[in-house]
Amino acid sequence: MSTHAGPRLLILALAVSFALPATGGSLRYAEDQAPGIVNPVFTTTMSEARVNELIFDGLYTDNQELASEPALVSSTTVDDDRSGMTLNLRSDVYWHDGTPFTADDVVFTVDAMKNEESLSTEAGRVSWIDAAEALDSATVRLTFVQPELRPEDKLYFKILPKHKFEGTALKRSDPFRSRPLGTGPYKLDRYNDDNSITFTAYEDFRSSTGISELVMREVSDKNYQAKLLLYESLEALVRVLPRDLAVLQNNRKVELYPYQTNSWWYVGFNQVRAPFDDPAVRQAISSLVDIDALLAPIGTGEVLSGPFVKSSPYYNHKVEPWTYDDMQASSLLETAGWVREADTWTKDGEVLTLVLTAHQSVESSQEVVINLQSQLEAGGVKVDVEFLDEAAWKARIWRERNFDVILSQWSFDRNEDVYEQLHSNGSRNFGSYANESVDELLDRARTTTDPYEKKAALRKVHELAHDDAPMVFLWTLDSYAALSTKVSNVVIHPFYFFTYVREWRMK
Amino acid sequence: MSAPPPDRRRQLALLSALGRRFGAFVLTLLGAALLAQVLLWSAPGDAADLLAGDPELRAALVVEMGLDRPPHVAWWAFVTHALGGDLGRSLTYRPGMAVLELVQPAALRSLVLVVGALVVSLLVGTALAYVTAGRRSLGRRLLQAVSIAPVFLMAWVLVVGLNEWAFELMLQDRIVRPSWFALPDQESLLKWALAIGVLAVGSSAVTEVHSACEDELKAIRRSGYVDAARARGARLWPHVLWNLVPPLTTIASSRAAFFVGGLVVVEKVLHLNGVGAMLWQACRLRDVPLALGITFVAAAVVCGARLLADVLRVTVDPRLRTQT
Repeated sequence: MSTHAGPRLLILALAVSFALPATGGSLRYAEDQAPGIVNPVFTTTMSEARVNELIFDGLYTDNQELASEPALVSSTTVDDDRSGMTLNLRSDVYWHDGTPFTADDVVFTVDAMKNEESLSTEAGRVSWIDAAEALDSATVRLTFVQPELRPEDKLYFKILPKHKFEGTALKRSDPFRSRPLGTGPYKLDRYNDDNSITFTAYEDFRSSTGISELVMREVSDKNYQAKLLLYESLEALVRVLPRDLAVLQNNRKVELYPYQTNSWWYVGFNQVRAPFDDPAVRQAISSLVDIDALLAPIGTGEVLSGPFVKSSPYYNHKVEPWTYDDMQASSLLETAGWVREADTWTKDGEVLTLVLTAHQSVESSQEVVINLQSQLEAGGVKVDVEFLDEAAWKARIWRERNFDVILSQWSFDRNEDVYEQLHSNGSRNFGSYANESVDELLDRARTTTDPYEKKAALRKVHELAHDDAPMVFLWTLDSYAALSTKVSNVVIHPFYFFTYVREWRMK
Repeated sequence: MSAPPPDRRRQLALLSALGRRFGAFVLTLLGAALLAQVLLWSAPGDAADLLAGDPELRAALVVEMGLDRPPHVAWWAFVTHALGGDLGRSLTYRPGMAVLELVQPAALRSLVLVVGALVVSLLVGTALAYVTAGRRSLGRRLLQAVSIAPVFLMAWVLVVGLNEWAFELMLQDRIVRPSWFALPDQESLLKWALAIGVLAVGSSAVTEVHSACEDELKAIRRSGYVDAARARGARLWPHVLWNLVPPLTTIASSRAAFFVGGLVVVEKVLHLNGVGAMLWQACRLRDVPLALGITFVAAAVVCGARLLADVLRVTVDPRLRTQT
């Protein structure tokens, strides 16, 4: 008897073996958490946004060059004074139940999102529209709150079927949340016991769809998602963790797809809390951060000097990022009245101390926090660290603004509007940054219809924000999706991922 | 006025004892819900925070979700509805869906795990004790050593180990893809067997059953009725097993709470989507009605198991009836 007989018997006993079934047009992708609700009016997570992309359509969408192109409209006319527009809708669009798509659906969606009783988390996407009116079943008239430079760039919010609702005051708990109806390339077929969701191709979609079935698998452990792709239990990973890149790159059954996101990391100061209300202290701390050394352990990317990614037209290339310079940091702190004593900086008997708060589910944030703590402590700043879960983060940072310094990131769609982050009235300006010149420039960027004026204003915002240092702008990370080589013709949208999924093919 | 006859007195005492147990059952349910309510209330952030950054929208959501009520008012509203069979509606996990509708299928999956782990603990612990009672045994030491490992670690090592092992053999073309591969993503009997095994061993139930049975067996083997049965040439094991029922019932009912606690970890690691994994998600998403509903159901199951065990012990052991 061979020496391998024992293990073989064990294998036979354990492994009720079957040949691997061919996936045959079925693509499985992983999400950390299954969407709790599938209704674009109430979207709060990226997993929900990706599902919306499968089921629903907007009036406009992005082409592969990320420029707006019509989706549900056939043509549009923008008024000469840019205060309104007329949309002619396509006549070959049907909801998944066979009902024709009409102008009433567009008007209903705008009204529902604007209706305060809906408590829509996406109301901001239509706040620029003053009114929507159906001129006939295939024509919609939109009037704007103020003149719009490129209104089509804001018309990608998803359209809902009017006939599935009783009024424009929508409820999160409406059964539509689990039985959504769209005009998109996929229909939600079923929720499965393991929290996965199966989508099937919509047979009457206006163009052919290459993959007949998509399955969203809930895999809460991000570290395990890459393993499942290697084991051929998944066909797609939306985003690969930097530490998994090497092993996936070396696997002949997996292809990596790089994509550029409008997303940047930052270290933000609470500027109503001493000593971070002093620009010199913020600038000194910025000078103690070695950004390249923080970035290296977590992946590759581009170091930034302001609140835009480098590929953005608003990025000011004349502004250089803060670089590590302990002499400059010392000089700034001394100017601000701080004294170096042994290993710490002190002022009026107080040691320069901060609590660095990070979101526990932001990938790689632990490595960055630990290395940042080490860098700042080497520069004489005492740093305590805390991690918060999603609910605690939103309560402490967003609502109460109760923090010293945060490590976080912002992601933007194609409209890189940093008004909410940097304007003194901005709803996402958690650090309470206030600079009158920046406010004025941001207001101008929002209202102007001249693209050159907008670009100039935002580049100036970039420069001022760098100098004031309300944040240490860190980097934009290189992002990679990973797909099985069984999937071909893959093009990925950097924000919504599945925008071009109907063109994907399974071998 | 004459005292009631002894049989009547025993019946009254038994009813009184059952009444006390039932009272404790109800109080435990109320207490468990209160504890969950207080813990979730004191945790930073709520369901409205998760959904809305805008202060006005958040304020409106707080009212709509009933999060503006003081915790004791919310708790009382929950228990009064729960005792009538209405556990409320989910806020964030599956917004608007009835908690009972969510919990029922998940509870069934978890019940399979708990009952499976109990059966495995009793069978393995008793069989092992029958072999090792009164002897030195390597098996006993091995079992004790394994039981020390945390449930999470045990489940994780098994999942990773089995996956890597099978994957390596598949790469070498020594096996074709097993139906259970890859754990825990693929639904399979092996996944359930692993979960039951980890729950039974990792929560120390097997060890406890084994130790208790060993002690009991030693005592039983020395008892007079066993000597008498042995002298008459009668079979011993029916007597022995019958006498093991009371201690085993006590252990089984006391381990039920540990099993329910272990479910959170086992279901998370093995993707089993029972009430344990659901409770974890409910807490993460600050879904108070769902978390309270699961706690309420879990407490009811644990208390129900204890009540059942008491009845069973009193039925099996006549001495307990006279003591009562």
